[in-house]
Amino acid sequence: MKVSYNWLKDYVKHNFSVKELSERLTNVGLVVDTTTPIDKDSCLDIEVTSNRPDCLGFIGIAREVAAVACNELIIPDVDYATISEDVKDITNVTVKDKELCPRYTARIIKNVSMGPSPEWLQKKINTIGLRPVNNIVDITNYVLMESGQPLHAFDFDKLSGKKITVRRALNGEVMVAIDGSKCTLTPDMLVIADSRKPVAIAGLMGGRDTEVSDTTKNILLESAFFEPGNVRRTSRKLGIRTDSSYRFERRVDPECVDWASRRAAKLIQEIAGGEIAEGVIDRNYLKKEKTNVTLRIARLNSLLGIHIEKDLVKDIMERLQFKIISETKTSLKVNVPTFRGDVYREIDLIEEVARIHGYDNIPTKSNIGLKPIQENKFDVVVEKVRNIISGLGFSEVITDSIVGNSQNQHDAIWSDNSSIKIVNPIRQDENLLRKTLVHNLLRVKKHNQNYGIEKTQIYELSKIYLPQKNDKIPEEKECLCILGEEGFLSLKGVVEAIHKHLNIEHKLESTPYRFDLFRPGKSAKLKLGGKVLGYIGELSSGTIKGHDFRSTPCITELNFNLLVDMANLESSFQKIPSFPTMMRDLAIVSDEKITWNDIRGCIESLKIDYVDGIEFFDVYRGKQVEQGKKSIAFRLIFRADDRTLKSEEVDALQEKILENLNKILGVKLRT
Amino acid sequence: MQKKLIELQNQAKDDLAKAKSPDEIERVRTKYLGRKGVINEIIKAIPSLRPEQRSTIGKLANKLKQEISKWIEETREKFVVEERVPGAEEMFDLSLPGKHKPYGHKHPITQTIDEIKGIFSKLGFDIEYGPEVELEYYNFDALNIPPDHPSREDFDTFYLDNKLLLRSQTSTVQIRVMKEKKPPIRMIAPGKVFRPDTVDACHASMFHQIEGLMVDKGVSFSDLKFILTFFSKAYFGQDIKMRFRPSFFPFTEPSAEVDISCSICRGKGCSVCAYSGWVEVLGAGMVDPNVFEAVGYDAEKYAGFAFGLGVERLAMLRYGIDDIRLFFENDMRFLSQF
Repeated sequence: MKVSYNWLKDYVKHNFSVKELSERLTNVGLVVDTTTPIDKDSCLDIEVTSNRPDCLGFIGIAREVAAVACNELIIPDVDYATISEDVKDITNVTVKDKELCPRYTARIIKNVSMGPSPEWLQKKINTIGLRPVNNIVDITNYVLMESGQPLHAFDFDKLSGKKITVRRALNGEVMVAIDGSKCTLTPDMLVIADSRKPVAIAGLMGGRDTEVSDTTKNILLESAFFEPGNVRRTSRKLGIRTDSSYRFERRVDPECVDWASRRAAKLIQEIAGGEIAEGVIDRNYLKKEKTNVTLRIARLNSLLGIHIEKDLVKDIMERLQFKIISETKTSLKVNVPTFRGDVYREIDLIEEVARIHGYDNIPTKSNIGLKPIQENKFDVVVEKVRNIISGLGFSEVITDSIVGNSQNQHDAIWSDNSSIKIVNPIRQDENLLRKTLVHNLLRVKKHNQNYGIEKTQIYELSKIYLPQKNDKIPEEKECLCILGEEGFLSLKGVVEAIHKHLNIEHKLESTPYRFDLFRPGKSAKLKLGGKVLGYIGELSSGTIKGHDFRSTPCITELNFNLLVDMANLESSFQKIPSFPTMMRDLAIVSDEKITWNDIRGCIESLKIDYVDGIEFFDVYRGKQVEQGKKSIAFRLIFRADDRTLKSEEVDALQEKILENLNKILGVKLRT
Repeated sequence: MQKKLIELQNQAKDDLAKAKSPDEIERVRTKYLGRKGVINEIIKAIPSLRPEQRSTIGKLANKLKQEISKWIEETREKFVVEERVPGAEEMFDLSLPGKHKPYGHKHPITQTIDEIKGIFSKLGFDIEYGPEVELEYYNFDALNIPPDHPSREDFDTFYLDNKLLLRSQTSTVQIRVMKEKKPPIRMIAPGKVFRPDTVDACHASMFHQIEGLMVDKGVSFSDLKFILTFFSKAYFGQDIKMRFRPSFFPFTEPSAEVDISCSICRGKGCSVCAYSGWVEVLGAGMVDPNVFEAVGYDAEKYAGFAFGLGVERLAMLRYGIDDIRLFFENDMRFLSQF
């Protein structure tokens, strides 16, 4: 809402400078976004919240200024002389849809002289960015800005049948609007029609055929109350937003409908001559209910945390033009004026007092006392895991939950069902909720590669959205997806580090898993205690080629909720061994099909107490190893709790282990 | 044979003592320990000895071999030490850069949320989470948002099938928490929200909010001001100025928007604060009685305040970031700055 500093003074006398006025208005909730000097005036651009349509006119703003400055509000006089001819003898108004048009008024002004409006008027509306058109249009705009009540002037002689019907549009009915646009109407829209056709779309815009022009002599002046929701829907549907629709959408003051009409009639008479017909056609179907609200002073003080007296509360109420109907020692009964449709409860009155009294005058203090924080295992695990991954060199990314189809084509590890669709996406090709984080990470890698960053070690910890067969509410699964650039085993090491750090009782198992995205044979399903934790794999050459990657990334995606469930946060201290370990590094030769798991298992199956660790080094295939076989190097760590082991004891244990490996798996010590 | 070994021992000692350069040491090594060296020759000859002699000679030869190796090492080390006297040709360049191991970075949004969580934890606020796919009830109805409110229209909210939607605000969580728990409540709820805004430097279709709620007997607007001032100063610095001004939200009454003095220009006016000296950081207010009614709280008995903030906005203000899209592009050159 644009307000002229000088013009506003017509309605309230105050001594505020432009800057002071801006501050005062901002402090009562009317934020002044900008102030622009124009001639000897200033234009204030005020942000009016949707609950305050009363401030979409100068008088409404002036009312607030008057309340703040404790000054009188000046309301212009709307008395005028009329001719003896009664409006009811000249025209008629029929309202067919009383719900969408609860009030419609019409006045007739005859024999106006069309022409430009006087300089003072042009200047005023110019300051707030309105272009002068002619005296009649300028006056309706002036009163609209003054009162917040939109008005429309029809060229009465161009109305077929000389009367008005307010009705729903017929399907496919067409009207050319004042701005030249051709509007095709539907029955959900309300129109003002003459005996033949629509002459205005209610609350939005008038029609070109009946607008006032140089040749206009007689005017029908419309002032109405249109149902806000319908105006908004029609406005959205037709893509027409006007100063009128903006105000009708937010609800105009039902009482102001007639006042604004009188005000405009009077100005037309003064500026454009003309004779005002006696009376008004006023189709008013609004229920006249008084809004009376009781305000308890103690309640007000306790809710705001202040101590103010009843007299001050009364004063503030009256400054805002609320009427005190009655009062007791501890409360006030207040009548709310019709322009304040947003006020109907005690709490609303409390807000009014707080606003005008000033939020600055409410103390900033508290005695809320201590309250222990509730336990939150999820957050603890998140923190732990993030720290581990960051420490291992991975950076966190956050990507969009809304993806395109190419990012959601995915094997059915998490869900067989199709993706959840967005009905109204911004882009038609990005209309799905993601079912995996994998593709988003690949996208991030691609973006970085395009800028010359070859290795992107990243992770995301976020939700995926899985439709449920038997529930309309989808499952939101928290997933941890990590993209590593240092090979399969490095990435597996990251998963193992997390597993270890979370102190999870179940072993981390990996079983072969066939997955389009990954290189055959180099992808695994990961499990914890029989439950699927996720998968891990090296990207297949096809995937790498498809993305034009210059490295070979590996990816793992884990069900984070499972990690949280299984994490054991109550770890206890383990005694540090008192006696040193002894180590033996071995290299053995085995068949290709023997896995590390086999070897490890074979050693563990001996259940030798003194074996404290079995550490894998590497696998070697090549010249010194027979074809079809591989050499596996590892370290055995021996330790006793009660003494230092003797070299001979360890030799014997090593011999036993090797014998067993040979017997069970047919592997031999490499020579 | 034994005698010969002892002789060799002395001879090797002498030779090494005479050696004056690493090259000469190497020559000594080859002479005694090389493949065709003196000691190997002796070892090769062992099989031709008498059986009772073999083991003794073998042991002695191996022992000698080890001893000579040891002497050679010692002599070599002596040379190295002597060569590296100060003032010699090699100097350690202290100005060389240290070697870096890569470490990862938490996303700036995560860092911002963590910091905010930390501040509110000190005040006893629990962390709560809620679903992102929501029912209209939690996103609108229970929050006192009327059925024809513009925020419900499909250019302000993403809709899914089955009357579901993507939550457009984290205020949904205050409803879920109040429906489940009885007062006193102190909580914040960080999370993603979604709005079908066309993406530009200031708008993203997905971003993060933190909702806050405190409900107890006797909670007042004064408490709201205290908590939010405490938070803002903790996050933006103790020397900032605060401004609470009336505003409107359907789920709070009275409502406030909270501004802080612009951290970029320190209140003098700049493009970040649109030359006003103030930047908006929070929306807040006393919980509307209609919301209490929706969750079954007695508004006469309890009072409370709620607030909401945009995480991206706070991070942008704190770091001077001018484009929200940077957060979701995940450029490593951006992420590694935090």
